[in-house]
Amino acid sequence: MNVLMPQLGETVAEGKVAIWYKKEGDIVAKNEILVDVETDKAAVEIPSPVEGVIGSILVSEGETVDVGTILAVINNQDADSGSSEQLANVEKKNSTPELTQNNFIAETLKSQKIINSPESGQSGRRLKLSPVVRRLLTEHQIDVNEVLGSGKDGRITRSDVMAFLDNRLTKPSVKPVLQPLGDSNRVPFDRIRRVTAEHMVRSKVTSPHVFQAVEADFSSVDAARSFHQERWRSDNGYSLTYLPFIARATCLALRDFPRLNGSVDGEALILHKGIHLSIAVDLNFKGLVAPVIFDADGLTVMGLARRIHEISMGAREGKLSADELSGGTYTLSNNGSFGTLLTGAIINQPQVGILSIDAIKKRPVVIEDSTGDSIAIRPVGILSQSFDHRAVDGSYSAAFLHKIRTLLEEKDWSAEL
Amino acid sequence: MAQLTYREAVSAAIAQEMRRDENVVFLGEDVAAAGGVFKTTAGLLEEFGPERVKDTPISEQAIIGAAMGASMTGLRPIAEIMFSDFFAVCWDLVANQIAKTRYMTDGQCSFPLVLRSANGGGSRFGAQHSQSVENWAMAIPGLKVVAPSNPADVKGLLAASIRDPDPVMFFEQKSLYSVKGEVPDGEHIEPLGVASIVRAGTDVTVAALAAMVPRALKAAEILQDQHGISCEVVDVRCLVPLDTQTILGSVVRTSRFVTVEENPRLCGWGAELASIVAEELFWDLDGPIVRITTPHIPLPSADELEDAVMPSPERIVQNIKKLVD
Repeated sequence: MNVLMPQLGETVAEGKVAIWYKKEGDIVAKNEILVDVETDKAAVEIPSPVEGVIGSILVSEGETVDVGTILAVINNQDADSGSSEQLANVEKKNSTPELTQNNFIAETLKSQKIINSPESGQSGRRLKLSPVVRRLLTEHQIDVNEVLGSGKDGRITRSDVMAFLDNRLTKPSVKPVLQPLGDSNRVPFDRIRRVTAEHMVRSKVTSPHVFQAVEADFSSVDAARSFHQERWRSDNGYSLTYLPFIARATCLALRDFPRLNGSVDGEALILHKGIHLSIAVDLNFKGLVAPVIFDADGLTVMGLARRIHEISMGAREGKLSADELSGGTYTLSNNGSFGTLLTGAIINQPQVGILSIDAIKKRPVVIEDSTGDSIAIRPVGILSQSFDHRAVDGSYSAAFLHKIRTLLEEKDWSAEL
Repeated sequence: MAQLTYREAVSAAIAQEMRRDENVVFLGEDVAAAGGVFKTTAGLLEEFGPERVKDTPISEQAIIGAAMGASMTGLRPIAEIMFSDFFAVCWDLVANQIAKTRYMTDGQCSFPLVLRSANGGGSRFGAQHSQSVENWAMAIPGLKVVAPSNPADVKGLLAASIRDPDPVMFFEQKSLYSVKGEVPDGEHIEPLGVASIVRAGTDVTVAALAAMVPRALKAAEILQDQHGISCEVVDVRCLVPLDTQTILGSVVRTSRFVTVEENPRLCGWGAELASIVAEELFWDLDGPIVRITTPHIPLPSADELEDAVMPSPERIVQNIKKLVD
């Protein structure tokens, strides 16, 4: 039985082997986690499709190969060579013909890209580097394994090395070695922690973050929400929260403030046409993902409530594809469930803004009107945005926050439900 | 600026230099009364008279021999060989006498002459009247070799060739004669040995000459528009002296080098450029040097066949795409 590089999302053509949990000769049970595979969009644990003994591992850790490439061969009882079940999940263009034990190595070599690891040459692959790439690697003391090739068959081009150098200049490369204290316990990062750590460092290095917050009165939202709550819960089986209202207000505000629905590209700001909201979802302390609601500005509060529920459940159950986890243009991070006052969120790259929603709580509020000042009890919460100061300035962000606040306080929300 | 055709630029350059220097004389077959079989020299006889603009018998050796002798006596002759293929019948005079005598006489005689000729294919003249022979001349030490791609360069480089103290082989691409272009008014002269970057780019350096320059430019446009590949096109203009500085400077920026040559494959001028780039810039190259040439065959006269063998914009696009992928 061949274990293939799976298709992790429709637009994904290749994946990187991150960790092998088994080595050649090990016994593996059916559905036991065999290998971690990463794409630029997601990381996934691949379970063993059968029970058996690992015959050979053909792609080593750190290597990136095409979808459909054989990663390992498992010798099992009914040792047919087919992998048709898996192949069905692989796009036709990437499919590999059925292989016999005798020719699988040759077929694998044919189908594999020459990738960025010369010492993986035990299987006969040889890395071709052009003169200028060789010179640059030597001059800048770059390990060839660290550079991703964008050329044909994964060839490393001069531009790839130059891009790597640009990237390296902005990345801290010092690896502090910690001496563990006597009774401390070293817990290695799992893959989602690793991806998050890398992303957060990159975001902080890339974007100069500015933090700005407004306080909003949720009375108007609360009125509409309370009115529909019972019916909603009985129809849908879950509560109507504040989040879809805030999402709706954010989408409407983004239409008027398109520069916050963008990405910085060198010395330009790319303005995205579609408003695709990433919703940060906590996986019960086991990590954080941000699935995307595409074209979120086309949805009503009810539509948003349903989509938020669907993707949150999907994320927690690990049922989302890589395509659903990327492509967002602005992020909402809901931190209020533990009563936080405000949260300085880190921007979800390559976006330029993220809005944190914290606890909405009844507070005494001074109301000013024509009859004079009075004190009232109102549900109030703080909306705080971190934005990339390369993309916009504080006044633009403030006007955007003001717009969201005004919508939340003044829009006729019952009309949306 | 005036709009002139490539052929009008030839007579404009000769007239400009004949007015300036009475030692400049012009001779060739049917160049005077008939104004040249390609009508490149119309009006010169009328302006400068039969003493300075002379029709000759049909003998290439006589034309070249007369020009050589005239230049030794202090005149600055311009001799026309109707088709550059015919240099073959007078090659002893060109290669052994004109090119070497200044050296062999230790500078006692010099040869300030220009040998002009209609060169190259694309005009259905068949195997003996269509060759692109600038690489023959490039192989002989002692000759300068010029091959312009547009009217302004025809005027400027021909004027410079006439003023040059040494023999210059001036190759006019006959399929370009009717091409129009802006030519600066008044006296116009372009120094020999300076290549021209006719399109700036970042991914590939494409060196071309004469009729291959417009084709390379067309290909560069397609590559940019359809494939996002940015080509820097260098019009080499002079093979001797060769402006290696401009070419190497461009390759340092792009890391890739392609030549587009009308010469048959073996020993076309691009082979020499490829060798220089490989030797000087090996550690700057990000891919193999690619030569796009006519195959090593006599040029066919049938329209379809001639079109099929000469480098076309489509073939240039294909080759460059493959190189950059």
